[in-house]
Amino acid sequence: MEHMDTEGEGLAVSPLQGSLSRRTLVKRAAVAGLAVPMVGSFIASCGSDDETSTTGGSETTAAGGSETTAAGGSETTAGSGATGGTIKVGTFKPAGPLDPIAQADLGTYNVVSQCFECLLGPEGDGVGPALATEWTANEDSTEWTFKLREGVKWHDGSDFTADDVVATFERIVAVGDSIGGSISAGATTAVDPLTVKVVMNGPNASFPYLVSLFNPQTAITPAAYEAGTTLDGSPNGTGPWKLESYDPNSGAKFVRNDAWWGGATPLDAVEMIFFTDQASENTAQSSGATDVIQSFAVVGGDALLADANQNIVDVQAATHREVWFGCDEGNFTDVKVRQAMALSINRDEIVETLFSGKASVANDHVIFDLYPFHDPDAVEQRAQDIEAAKALLAEAGFADGLSTTLNAVDLGEVPQLAELIQSMAKEAGFDITLNVESTDTFYGTQWCVTYPCAGSAEFGIVDYGHRPVPDVYLLKAFKGGGDWNSSQYASADLDAAIVEYQSSAEEDARKVASGKIQTIMWNDVPAMIPYRYNGLAAYSKAFTGVQFTALGHTIVSAASQA
Amino acid sequence: MTKYIVKRVLLSLVTLWLLVTIVFLMSWALPSDPARAILGPFADEKLVEDFRETFGLNDGFLEQYFRLLKGLVTFDFGLSYGTKKPVWDVLAPTLWRTAKLATLAMIITTPISIFAGLVAAKFRDRRLDRGIVLTGLATSSIPEFVTGTLLAVVFGVKLGWFKAVAIIPEGTPPLEQLNYLFLPAMALAIVYFGYIARMMRAGTIQAMDSDYTRTAAMKGLSSSQVMRKHVLRNALAPTITVMSVQIGYLVSGIVGVEVVFNYPGFSQALLIAVKQKDLPVLQVAVIISALVYMVATLTADLIIAWLNPRIRLEMGN
Repeated sequence: MEHMDTEGEGLAVSPLQGSLSRRTLVKRAAVAGLAVPMVGSFIASCGSDDETSTTGGSETTAAGGSETTAAGGSETTAGSGATGGTIKVGTFKPAGPLDPIAQADLGTYNVVSQCFECLLGPEGDGVGPALATEWTANEDSTEWTFKLREGVKWHDGSDFTADDVVATFERIVAVGDSIGGSISAGATTAVDPLTVKVVMNGPNASFPYLVSLFNPQTAITPAAYEAGTTLDGSPNGTGPWKLESYDPNSGAKFVRNDAWWGGATPLDAVEMIFFTDQASENTAQSSGATDVIQSFAVVGGDALLADANQNIVDVQAATHREVWFGCDEGNFTDVKVRQAMALSINRDEIVETLFSGKASVANDHVIFDLYPFHDPDAVEQRAQDIEAAKALLAEAGFADGLSTTLNAVDLGEVPQLAELIQSMAKEAGFDITLNVESTDTFYGTQWCVTYPCAGSAEFGIVDYGHRPVPDVYLLKAFKGGGDWNSSQYASADLDAAIVEYQSSAEEDARKVASGKIQTIMWNDVPAMIPYRYNGLAAYSKAFTGVQFTALGHTIVSAASQA
Repeated sequence: MTKYIVKRVLLSLVTLWLLVTIVFLMSWALPSDPARAILGPFADEKLVEDFRETFGLNDGFLEQYFRLLKGLVTFDFGLSYGTKKPVWDVLAPTLWRTAKLATLAMIITTPISIFAGLVAAKFRDRRLDRGIVLTGLATSSIPEFVTGTLLAVVFGVKLGWFKAVAIIPEGTPPLEQLNYLFLPAMALAIVYFGYIARMMRAGTIQAMDSDYTRTAAMKGLSSSQVMRKHVLRNALAPTITVMSVQIGYLVSGIVGVEVVFNYPGFSQALLIAVKQKDLPVLQVAVIISALVYMVATLTADLIIAWLNPRIRLEMGN
């Protein structure tokens, strides 16, 4: 087993700046342990100018360096091994058509992203250049300008231009997505063939993330594309691989795109093999039937974790569980009761029990430590303190304890988490009855009966998937009147801090706003968030240079045989 | 005999019509919208509406029903909702794959099970008999996907003797394909060993205890002649009946094994069609499945008749 957890510190390009000089890149690459000549040659291959050039995406760079985990994307370095050959990637079977706009599952993301690219891709802790090389915002982040990469060709040989981006964004708006509510029809215009301007509905410093690989529905498609067209129906992307064949039941085959802007891929082809069962996927990887496994869980993944022939990659993610408290009525209206509950659990023990340590303790807010604007000094890490919990309960008028029902969704480890909370909180005086419901009924009966969220149980556990920025968590789950605000929490201070966070164009200012959010959430405890956990992926040691994201992308453009 | 076959075929057609109608009624009664199920939650409403129009989902009940019947009569099964390919193009490769797996499983299990049943009957109530019976009970009581997982882990991953998953690369020569199919076929064969061996044992014991066997022995036939001419022929009848049912099950009911070994066979296609509400594929898959059962049982009856003149006579009447 080989874990590759080394940090590629500082290699990430700030999403708020979007440019990095050649000198800086080389210097940072050296810090990260990458071979300077390789990085230099990579920059040259991107056709960039000295000093003012931008990176071409770290996923194509490097030389035999170690992999790094990153926010949502594992950064890995290029194969220095033999070129040629095919890599077999085990992945979830796509749940629907390969429609770039309507895609909604990890299997489809993985297939579509081999051919289609977004304006930005994963890089280090954040996002980096892909089809766009530079991106800048005006002062209040209400307008974003993207400089597009020169010389990019569609697979059919035609030129990629700003018109393609405009048409794509308009299509997205037309189907009702509006890129997370950021833009409206007519918001995107082509300034020139290689420059696009996007006017936001309001201040939005997170927009680069929303047009990155982490928001897969923003994959750029040709201007002539119509909504509903699928990749297999019209295989014409800009990405490193061309779709050769696709069978929705068994798999897909891709061949090298010789005209890719990132240069020739070391491998000749990619073969994706679809699975409907995680155990079968694990077995295939263990036995060598596949070279790469898109993702697997700690539970049931013991054999892979112990396999000396596998590179195990922790893909950092913000995936977490929210233990919400009803703040409007019931037992948890007094903040002291919520704080008491939060003090009664042992987070380290929970992480160890449920994830064998492969998760990170969280601190009852959603500005997780993987976000670059997380303020580590804002609040102390909350730890189990039974005496303090008892005292708070007594102050709240529950000296003899409190009885309540914890409603949990029957998904993954959530029922086990509920049991742990039940047993840990008992010592502090909480008498908890468990109610575990299937995903079919839970969301509509216990979580949010109507939208904006109403009718929620007073105490429950719900699941949240990875987001590259916490905007969705903040706006939907904690802002007053949010669609998913099962806590019925309303705080003018938090709402103001969220606005400040969203309109902060500079990273320092964003960190200050984030610190305020962390503090407010930590003090008010509208929800207890015990941990966030990483995705796990693996690839055979016969290969090098494979990259993953927390959304299930397997990036093999830099992969080669070891 | 011809009259019997014609009668069975006609009965089969009526059964098929009933089946098609039931499947259609069930799919019509499903609460979810196939267009939305196929296109996903983020698909534009206009696209969803276009989809409904294209596939005639907005048409009335009778119109859709008669279109289905017409399609079946003319062998025009229409397009799959999910892949937009002809239904037959979607199902044919999966059917072929499953046929290969089922055939291999039957080739492995049939001679061994029949031989074991015969031996058990011959050594009735002795240790060998009890061993075979207990083994059969044990293997048939473990679900095939559990057996499959164990086989994959032990012989595929740990020992590496066979392929742990049945992902057969294109162009793999037939003999080499055996390496991929062996473990899933064994998973099925192990389960069916129990059924077939026990049935063979029971049939053999019954035949051995019968008057005609005693008469044959008393008139001086050798032991092997008695076994071959009188016992085996009669004992095989219930075994063949069981096997014919198993063949039907092997085509459409082995989704567990197909999932464990990631083998994109007919059962998985059927399951996916159910999940995706891909009604054209689902309807044709159910019909194929029923046809296989019918053909298998008819074939079994004909084989039994060929083996046993008394049954042949009954059929004639």
